[in-house]
Amino acid sequence: MDIEQNQAELIDNFVKQASAQKGTALGSVILEATSHPSLFAFSEILAVPTVAELEGTENSVYLKVLQLFAHGTWSDYRSNCSSLPQLVPDQVLKLKQLTVLTLAETNKVLPYDELMMELDVMNVRELEDFLINECMYAGIVRGKLDQLRRCFEIQFAAGRDLRPGQLGSMIQTLSNWLGTSDNLLVSIQEKIKWADTMSELDKKHRKEVEARVEEVKKSVSVKKLQTVSRPKLSSEGSRISTLNLVE
Amino acid sequence: MASSSSSGLTFKLHPLVIVNISDHYTRVKSQLNPPPLTSTSATVNGVENQQQAPRVYGCVIGVQRGRTVEIFNSFELLYDPSTHSLDRPFLKKKQELYKKVFPHFYILGWYSTGSDAQESDMHIHRALMDINESPLYVLLNPAINPTQKDLPVTIYESELHVIDGIPQLIFVRSSYTIETVEAERISVDHVAHLKPSDGGSAATQLAAHLTGIHSAIKMLNSRIRVLHHYLVGMQKGDIPCENSLLRQVSSLLRRLPAIESEKFQDDFLMEYNDTLLITYLAMFTNCSSTMNELVDKFNTAYDRHSRRGGRTAFI
Repeated sequence: MDIEQNQAELIDNFVKQASAQKGTALGSVILEATSHPSLFAFSEILAVPTVAELEGTENSVYLKVLQLFAHGTWSDYRSNCSSLPQLVPDQVLKLKQLTVLTLAETNKVLPYDELMMELDVMNVRELEDFLINECMYAGIVRGKLDQLRRCFEIQFAAGRDLRPGQLGSMIQTLSNWLGTSDNLLVSIQEKIKWADTMSELDKKHRKEVEARVEEVKKSVSVKKLQTVSRPKLSSEGSRISTLNLVE
Repeated sequence: MASSSSSGLTFKLHPLVIVNISDHYTRVKSQLNPPPLTSTSATVNGVENQQQAPRVYGCVIGVQRGRTVEIFNSFELLYDPSTHSLDRPFLKKKQELYKKVFPHFYILGWYSTGSDAQESDMHIHRALMDINESPLYVLLNPAINPTQKDLPVTIYESELHVIDGIPQLIFVRSSYTIETVEAERISVDHVAHLKPSDGGSAATQLAAHLTGIHSAIKMLNSRIRVLHHYLVGMQKGDIPCENSLLRQVSSLLRRLPAIESEKFQDDFLMEYNDTLLITYLAMFTNCSSTMNELVDKFNTAYDRHSRRGGRTAFI
C-alpha cells in the first residue's frame, strides 16, 4: 500500500512527460521510466495515447520494451532479445525484480532452484543477496528465507500491472472468498442456535427431575403419618434412592 | 449555540479521559442515590429525579503541538454553587501536583456532564481563560441511548461571534478523533469483551464467544463484497479502470489462502483430536463418579434392611 503511494507521484510525472512528447523522444522517457528504482507500475504510461501510437512505427521497440516491463519476465526478454534493444543495468535489475513479483503470483513458496533459473543467478549467496537487498529492502516483497529447505516463503508481494484477462480471475477469486465467508457465517449461526437449544433442553430436564423429587418428597411425608416406628430420614432416603435407581 | 468550529485545530481525545469522566459521574451519582424511598408524593419524586442527574466538573490536561491538541488525562474539581465557579485554590494545587508528574501537560480546558452546553457554563469557561486563552469544554452526555452509534462526548470551543451587533462568546462544536496508546487499547478491549460475570452456563459463554466471531467475520464479508462489486463494475465498464487499486487488490488476493500446507493440517487435526479426547475423558470421569455415588446411596439404603433381614450388601 505504501508502494502505491510512493509510486503515485512518479507515475503522474511520467504520464505528463509521455503525453507531452512524441515518437523518438518518447524512447528516452520510457528508458528513464523503466530504470527508475522505485517505479514498478507501467500500465498508466502504456495507456497514454502518444505511447500507444508507437505501435507499428519504427519506434515500436520502445513500446515493446514498455510492455515487457509491464507484463513480462526476464526469461521473456532472453528468448526475444533479438527483437528488443539492449537493456541498461538498471533496467535489467528492475526486470529481475518484476520477475520475482510474477513468480510470487503463482506460488507462495518459491524453491531456490526455480528462482535461480528464472533470474540467471548461479549460487545461493547471490540469490539471497538479490532477494534481500533488491526485493525486501525495496518493500515490494515481504517474506522469510528458508535456507535449510531452500525455499522462499512469501507473505506479501506488491501487485504488477494487470493483464486484460486477470481481472476476470480476480473477480472469480473474490466471489469464492465471499461464498466461503457466507457459508462460515451460516454455520456459526447454526452453532450458536445449537448451543442455545442444548442449554434449553438441559434446563428443562433439570426442572423435570426436581419436580419429580418434590413430588416424591410430598408423597413420602404423607406416608410418614402411617409408619411411626421407622425414623423419617431413612425411609425418605430409601424412597429417593429407589427413585434414582429407577431413573 | 453550537455550529461547526472554524479554528482549524485538530483534536485528539484519549479514552482515559472518557473513562475518567464517566467514572467521576457514576461515583457521584451512586453516592447521592438515597436508599429506596416509600414516599408517593410527586414533588418528592421530582426532587429525586433532579438529584439523580448530578453535574460533575473537572479539568482536562494534555499537550498542544502546533495545530494538534491532544487531550491525555483529566482530574476532578469541586464546583462551588454559590459563586458559580470552580474551586480555584484546589485547581492550582492539583495543577502543581500534575506538573511534577507530567511536566509536559498543560491545562487545556474543563469537562462536565449533561445533555447540552448551557449558558452558565460560559461563566466557568471565561474563568478558565486566564490559564489557557482558548480553553476546551468537553461535555459527556450520561444518558444511555442504545440507538446512538457515536460516543456521547462533544468538544466545544469558544469563539467570538457578533450577534445582534454585540460581540459575544459562544460555544461552537468541534470534531475530534480518538487516539489510543497501547495500554489504553488493552484495557478498552478488555472492557468490550466482558463476559457475563456470573459464569453463566457453558452454553451462554460459547454463544457470546461465537457471536463475537460472527460479527467480526460479517464486517470482513461486507468489505469484500464492496471490493467485489467495484471490480465487477470495472469489468463491465461502468467505472473507469484505476490501475493502482487493481494492483493492490491483486496483491491482496495473492495472500489467499492464508495457510494451506500439509503440516498445518496435521497440527490442526492433532489439536482437534486432543480436545475431543479430553472432553471424552472428562465425561467418563463424571459418569464414574455419579455411578460411585449411586452405589454408595444404594448401600446406605439397603444396609439397614440387610441387618434385620440377613441379606448381604449390594457390593
